[in-house]
Amino acid sequence: MLTSLHVEGTSLLHRLPVKPKLLGLMIFGLGLYFVSAPLVLGAALALTALLYVSTGIGLWDGLKRLRPVLLTIAFLAAVNLLLLSPVEALVTTLRLLAILFLAAAVTACTTIADFMGAITDLARPLERMGLLKAADLGLALGLVLRFVPEIAARYEALKEAHAARGVPVRLPRMLGPLIISTLKDADRIAEAIDARGIRGH
Amino acid sequence: MTTRDIVLSALFTAIIIVLGFIPPVPVPLIPVPITAQSMGVMLAGCIIGAKRGAAAYALLVVLVAVGLPVLSGGRGGLNVLMGPTGGYIFGWIIGAFVTGMLAEKLVREGQSAAKQMTGFFIASIVGGIGVVYLCGMPWLSVVAGTPFDKVALGSLAFIPGDLVKAAIATLAARAVIVGYPLLPARA
Repeated sequence: MLTSLHVEGTSLLHRLPVKPKLLGLMIFGLGLYFVSAPLVLGAALALTALLYVSTGIGLWDGLKRLRPVLLTIAFLAAVNLLLLSPVEALVTTLRLLAILFLAAAVTACTTIADFMGAITDLARPLERMGLLKAADLGLALGLVLRFVPEIAARYEALKEAHAARGVPVRLPRMLGPLIISTLKDADRIAEAIDARGIRGH
Repeated sequence: MTTRDIVLSALFTAIIIVLGFIPPVPVPLIPVPITAQSMGVMLAGCIIGAKRGAAAYALLVVLVAVGLPVLSGGRGGLNVLMGPTGGYIFGWIIGAFVTGMLAEKLVREGQSAAKQMTGFFIASIVGGIGVVYLCGMPWLSVVAGTPFDKVALGSLAFIPGDLVKAAIATLAARAVIVGYPLLPARA
């Protein structure tokens, strides 16, 4: 149900550790806002698009994955064309596309485990400040992934229950029961976690 | 946060993800569909409160960042966060917090139904619409280069849909506070 956007491979970007990748993406993304020469931005776009394809995702799959964001960018380009000069519209569009492809390439080349490692490390300073426990983050994310299929099944069951009674299936009518029945599990799950001492003391 | 707080936040994140699977209503001309997912901001704040609601959305953003397609339409990955609409996604965290803060202040058990509903509706509009747009619109304007006043004007197209969402969230939050109250001032 929740398939990661990671793509198996051995490309250069695959072999790079996660932190340099994220730092590079940050610097590249911010840096591009200081560039307004269409030629340079065009070259940057060509480079990141090439990098994205080099991850082995395949052209069709790669474009399909980015379709919603590409549509948004195309829409903004059309709006900008009306409001700004053609050069300005071109510059912002090229910039957005270049960042888009690099970000998508990093996403495709990094496993969830690597990302989680980086996020846990980033959470360490917060832990020292007493704001959150890095281990709790992993526990919470595990719980989310565990319960998505269960809640989806519950939603389907509610839909069938409504249909069986001849009540039209409407989201507003189902939200209350869906949320109450889900959150009622919270106490049971919390007790089970504490009983096993998973969070330590 | 207690274990129960963590579990409640995580379960709510899962609910928000499932809301994203429900087919969205496309808006003519605009490539961003109206989804049940952004209604989650109002639901989270009104039902589990400020701190846990914000935590639920922070978890969602982490899942997006690590490359899981948890947003409506199967969107996910760093490109969504760094893209033109990234400001709205981060704004969801703050929006859920503000919604929760207002709901905790305005609504308590034992009030009349009308008072509770009014409180939830105000909280949903201020936090779920006002705050989210305040975060999303400047970001969009800076990232895409579109003048801010035009971005604000374009956003008006989404306001009617958002008001409907606030109304639905109000009904759901009221149903939950009657059936299984979870909105304590302490959270």
